[in-house]
Amino acid sequence: MSEPSIFFSEVNQRQGGFNRRAFLLGGITGLGLGILGGRLAILQAVEAQRYEKLAASNQFNFRLVPPPRGRVLDRHGVVLASNRPNFRLMVAREKETDVDGLVRNLCELVPIPEDRVPRLIKDIKRAAPKAPVPVMEDMTWEEFSRVNVRAPELPGVTAEMAEVRVYPWGGAFAHVVGYVAKVNSDDIDAIKEKGEPVGPLFYNPGFRIGKQGIEKAFDERLRGEAGGKKVEVDARGRVVAEDIGGDIPARPGDEIQLTLDADVQQRALEVFGEDSGGAVVMDIRTGDILCMASAPSFDANRFVRGLTGPEYRALANYERKPLLDKCMLGVYPPGSTFKPVTAMACLEYGINPEERVHCGGAWRIGNTTMRCHKTHGSQNLHDAIKNSCDIYFYTMSLRLGPDRIAAAAKALGFGQTFDIGLKGGQSKGLVPSTAWKAEYYKTRNPRNTKWFAGETPSYAIGQGALLVNALQLCVATARLANARKALNPRLIRSIGGVEQPKGSDVPDLPFKKENLDYVRSGMAAVAAAGGTAFRASQLGLGDILMAGKTGTAQVRGYKGIDRKNTGKPWRFRDHGLFIAFAPFDDPRYAISVIVEHGQGGSIAAAPKAREIMRVALLKDPELRARIEKPLPAPDLSEGEEFEDGDNLRDAAAAAAGEAPPPGPMVEE
Amino acid sequence: MSVSALSRPGERDRPLNKFLEIDWVFCLMLILIAGAGGLIMFSVAGGSWTPWAAQHLLRFGAVFVVMIVLAMTPIRWWFEASYPIYAVGLILLVLVEFMGATAKGATRWLDIGPLRFQPSEVMKVGIVLALARFYHGLSADSARESWWLLIPLAMIGAPTLLVAHQPDLGTAILIGATGVAIMVLAGLSWRLIGAGVLAILIALPPFIMFVLHDYQRKRILTFLNPEADKMGDGYHILQSKIALGSGGFLGKGLGLGSQSQLNYLPEKHTDFIFAALSEELGFVGAGAVLLLYAGVIFMALRIASTSHSHFGRLGTAGVTATFALYVLINGAMVMGMAPVVGVPMPLLSYGGTVMLTVMIGFGLVLSTRVHRYSEVTSGRGSLL
Repeated sequence: MSEPSIFFSEVNQRQGGFNRRAFLLGGITGLGLGILGGRLAILQAVEAQRYEKLAASNQFNFRLVPPPRGRVLDRHGVVLASNRPNFRLMVAREKETDVDGLVRNLCELVPIPEDRVPRLIKDIKRAAPKAPVPVMEDMTWEEFSRVNVRAPELPGVTAEMAEVRVYPWGGAFAHVVGYVAKVNSDDIDAIKEKGEPVGPLFYNPGFRIGKQGIEKAFDERLRGEAGGKKVEVDARGRVVAEDIGGDIPARPGDEIQLTLDADVQQRALEVFGEDSGGAVVMDIRTGDILCMASAPSFDANRFVRGLTGPEYRALANYERKPLLDKCMLGVYPPGSTFKPVTAMACLEYGINPEERVHCGGAWRIGNTTMRCHKTHGSQNLHDAIKNSCDIYFYTMSLRLGPDRIAAAAKALGFGQTFDIGLKGGQSKGLVPSTAWKAEYYKTRNPRNTKWFAGETPSYAIGQGALLVNALQLCVATARLANARKALNPRLIRSIGGVEQPKGSDVPDLPFKKENLDYVRSGMAAVAAAGGTAFRASQLGLGDILMAGKTGTAQVRGYKGIDRKNTGKPWRFRDHGLFIAFAPFDDPRYAISVIVEHGQGGSIAAAPKAREIMRVALLKDPELRARIEKPLPAPDLSEGEEFEDGDNLRDAAAAAAGEAPPPGPMVEE
Repeated sequence: MSVSALSRPGERDRPLNKFLEIDWVFCLMLILIAGAGGLIMFSVAGGSWTPWAAQHLLRFGAVFVVMIVLAMTPIRWWFEASYPIYAVGLILLVLVEFMGATAKGATRWLDIGPLRFQPSEVMKVGIVLALARFYHGLSADSARESWWLLIPLAMIGAPTLLVAHQPDLGTAILIGATGVAIMVLAGLSWRLIGAGVLAILIALPPFIMFVLHDYQRKRILTFLNPEADKMGDGYHILQSKIALGSGGFLGKGLGLGSQSQLNYLPEKHTDFIFAALSEELGFVGAGAVLLLYAGVIFMALRIASTSHSHFGRLGTAGVTATFALYVLINGAMVMGMAPVVGVPMPLLSYGGTVMLTVMIGFGLVLSTRVHRYSEVTSGRGSLL
């Protein structure tokens, strides 16, 4: 104050008091502002980092990026299970969303069936706020873009591109490859039980978990790891920007290559048609399973989408059990296809193969008369295998006893499961022995724990309590055809590019080499002129023949001599079985075919085996070269039999006096 | 040409001299604050003048002119108008009680033709003027301690209770606290001050428990324990702190404040604009704005202390008290130190009514400055 204030003696008590009080209040205000400033400094300088983090967690969100599931390939790289893009429509409810109105609006945009609408509205209302509910799958591109264009006016509606599992072969691999389906609470519990965390991926509406076969056994390898897409969201949860640099990429699942051959497998399914049964093909050099087909099958793609109740019931209640894997889970008496095993047991026991047994068509043991399907006359072991003479094996079985047969059967692969990479899903079957009987009846019927000699003859011809599955049959055949190694079947060729151990890296069979060769030659004789499967062994592939053994397994007691199958209800007919290897002179592939209630091995199983084996052989490049090689000169007329038309053309060209084109012929 | 106590009265009354006597540094600070508000509104609207920034600045321009005109209005006129303004305000408040317009559960507005109008705003100025006039005519001793003091108590109590009943707790606190501040400034004895503080402390808990509306009580409880209501009121406080804290020392830059741009910050252009400013301009910007506010308050208090009339002194100090309360309450709320009450940051926040009230108040402040040498009727002892 520069002005003199003496003129204003009113500078009185009141002004002085006011100034003191104003100074005081000013001080308090200043203190208040100082506190504000201090608080500001604490928030913005001392605690800034904490609030920056909170701000970032407000602002940025990671949207789950599901990993692409690993593909499943066949041995040649043909895709058995893959992923295809799927345009999916989803609705995430917010508290104030008018669900009915929203769904009505959506109905105008995309074709939602009228009868699904009430269910849909219920689902959306029941879901937690902001949890996306799938409304429609597999939209067309037009529908997808229509929804995306309108999305801003439809709060909570998103149309996204996701991947969905697809099995291009439909049912052909449904049992081996299995399928994926929606996660249910049991799956979540199972994962929790294992002590593994249940990530947000499991709650992604598009996520599917492996439920069967390879998809289940290698679920974790196939699944991969979810990534995150860093997005900037506003307070209402709407994405305003994407931060490409901040993305955590998803790790795709591993690719799994199987030893299966899609063509062989597909052919197997074709030849079965509506017949019920299984076929297994193995490479006897490596143990690779080329085909493991169970028929009838089902479309695995249906399970990915989710089966409706009626669909599931139709599959589950069908008499021919499409959901059951008949190669590994279905067990059957092997019938005569077991005879090579019994023969092996005879030889190992030291029975002279040249010893002869007379077959008069019937054979008595105790009070029972057992019949042969034919009167074979004098038979040695070779003849008995070739002719499938029951009486020879009945006779010898009494000398062998059950335990020697069981030992041979187990050595060849029966009564056990194989580690082919699938978890479970295999049935052991049953290889009876005295020990088994004692154990089995100990609790059930203690008076029946002793093995009776009368049980052995039917065991020797593959009946009785003996039960095998198609995979075991094929393994046994492959081991006999290999004649050295105790081959293991191999289904998984590589996981994520890592080759799996071969089935041939195993010890030798516990049999003498000459005995193995003997049985193998006996089986080869079945295919030769006069053998029981001579007709079925003709492959139409030049000099390549198939050595096999038919089998017919009873499913009911034959009353009297009524062994006819015709006219019986399907479920009472005999099973038809067939095992074989080819080429019979230089084995490469073994096959087993079981046709449930097919009425007989040679009628039902052998023709199927022949067709399947043809594909396997034709796909082998070395064998194909051998097939395409013309036969020696005198047999020119047989050129007709060649699959490949080239030979005919060549023959015609040769007839016309032209030089044949270069090719396999030139080598001769 | 400068005016002094020695200038002749006619000299001082010349409009040009009055215009020059306006404290232009003070005005500049007001312009800077309002400008900062406009800038942040431009930014949080996504770099757009609409819907807030342009209107805010235009309004400020208009009320600034009003303030200048009021600044040159003789203090005597203010003096004469003070009781009528208070009376009109009180009548309007009573009218609101009976025929007010209701919105969001509160009855605060009067519809006059097409205009919607909040009488409690009139009272913010009215209470200051009326109390200043009353104390102008009261002796220092009476102002210290006397039965006369029941009159200002009633003058404060009536509008405060009416506004609180609307309910508008924030404004009621402002009116009441401003009135009490004037009483203290006028020389209330420490004994009575102590008694009053004691009375308030005793009355507060039952008041909170029984008189307040549920939502008001919830706000206070939420403030005491913000974790209890993370999605409701606690959300506002937390988001405000996040926006403010994440701004850091230098801020994220204009238009880059993620929390305000993405609407995590509620009421980003009105009650929480200080948080938006702090996020984008950091401690440097927010501190500068606080300093501007401090500057305005202290310059106004200095103007008050230089006035030769008791009316001018108390009027200016009362306006300053209102203004300071605005800043302190809003600042404390934004920084999580006070419950959420609807008190904006004056001049910075969007909103025409508060801006108008505050600038009319500053009109009185500047008028006090311009007419600081003018004696107002020696009204000691005369109440009217």
